[in-house]
Amino acid sequence: MSDSQSIQASLRSRAAELLASDQVAELIGWGAGRFPDQTTPLFITQADQAEGLVYSEYCQNTLGKYAITELSELVADQGKLAICVRGCESRGINRMLKDNQIERDRLYLLGIPCSGMKNRQSGELLSKCMNCSHKNPVIYDELLGETVAEGEPDRFGAVCALEECDRASREQYFDAAFDRCIRCYACREVCPVCTCRECFVDQHEVGWQGKQGNTTENRFYSLTRAFHISDRCVECGECERACPMGLPLMVLNRKLVKDLDDLFQAGEAGLDAVAVNSLGTYDVADVEEFM
Amino acid sequence: MSVVETNVATTGAMATGANSPAAAESWQPSILAFACHWCTYSGADLAGLNRMEYPANVRLLRVPCSGRVNPQYVLSALGKGADGVLVCGCHPGDCHYVSGNYYAKRRLMAFKRLLEFTGLEPGRFQVRWISGSEAGKFRDTVTRVCEEVRALGPLTTDQRQALADPVLAGAAATTQAGEAQ
Ligand code: SF4
Ligand code: SF4
Repeated sequence: MSDSQSIQASLRSRAAELLASDQVAELIGWGAGRFPDQTTPLFITQADQAEGLVYSEYCQNTLGKYAITELSELVADQGKLAICVRGCESRGINRMLKDNQIERDRLYLLGIPCSGMKNRQSGELLSKCMNCSHKNPVIYDELLGETVAEGEPDRFGAVCALEECDRASREQYFDAAFDRCIRCYACREVCPVCTCRECFVDQHEVGWQGKQGNTTENRFYSLTRAFHISDRCVECGECERACPMGLPLMVLNRKLVKDLDDLFQAGEAGLDAVAVNSLGTYDVADVEEFM
Repeated sequence: MSVVETNVATTGAMATGANSPAAAESWQPSILAFACHWCTYSGADLAGLNRMEYPANVRLLRVPCSGRVNPQYVLSALGKGADGVLVCGCHPGDCHYVSGNYYAKRRLMAFKRLLEFTGLEPGRFQVRWISGSEAGKFRDTVTRVCEEVRALGPLTTDQRQALADPVLAGAAATTQAGEAQ
């Protein structure tokens, strides 16, 4: 039995036990999609539905963000919400705990060590998994399966390569990217950090975001989104995976992550639920370049 | 926000001519400067009292603190007609609200790097600390920023391109005429 098959087996049996004993009221995992190897997020509330859970190397969706909506619909005394967490989901969960979006004692976290997910059509490792720095969950209640060895991710390779290009080619590269954006806001929807009740793009009366579908407005959206998540991005890569137009969102996110780390030793986000955000604080000894 | 829009609307209109070749000679840069009420704005006042001269291309927008400058204001201004943006605040340690400029500093340092990463010329977005007594520094700063932006030329945005397009501009004019009737 392969690793993912044994994880699937223990996931199904633990899910059935947890739901049957009423310890948890709902469980979020993955189920089969319409096509071979396709998976889709699955929400179950009954022990007999546990057989529908799937865990394979094609579980592309990062589930963390669903915790917010599902918890808001779950009555507190009904039981907890169980959710499968790999490294990426667990860091998102920490982020949402830190942002007071969810409560730890209402969650039951089923940790899953993950060696990376594949694109079901090409069979290649997903780009979001290529430079993953936390394959094992950083927070969980129980671990299904053995921990896997962490790799040596090159988180900032793409950022550094672009930094070395001249200004005009960077402008061209990003203008072409912003030009493609259709402002579907999928990147915001899936992000565990984008949790504002009302996003600036929806504040029509204030009018932050113009309605034109042009490069200038798309740039305004993309740069604002990136800046809003800058010191909190957990680098799960889900925004870039969800983007239907293939925008290089991770280089924007990681550019900020890298700079904040270089300038203010910000470190990685989402490793615990208490760390202070680097843009939410200051140090009188910060570097000075505006004098 | 609306303040930014109205302010830049005038500079935007002024800059439209820039895209037609005939007007290229007479193009003037539009620069929006956010000035903290407690320092730079007084510094600008002092420059005026001392009859110092500086380019009229700079429009001052008074804010209560450099920490009040949402980076979105900068993007908005650049997208709607400004060729350059300057943010000015109190020297670190002198903030009227104790720490506003320290937060602004972190935020704007990261934001400036992001803008430059995506292709903006460094000269188009600048930040300076200028106190209420530094009239000379205010004059020198805005003069220098203005010259740097002038050398860079007009910033291309979709709004400008649309206004410069004879068909679109004509359509806009017809609509306005129609509405007036
Ligand atoms: S998901 Fe992609 S296309 Fe949609 S708004 Fe985000 S960047 Fe634009
Ligand atoms: S911005 Fe993208 S990579 Fe960062 S936390 Fe949000 S979804 Fe994940």
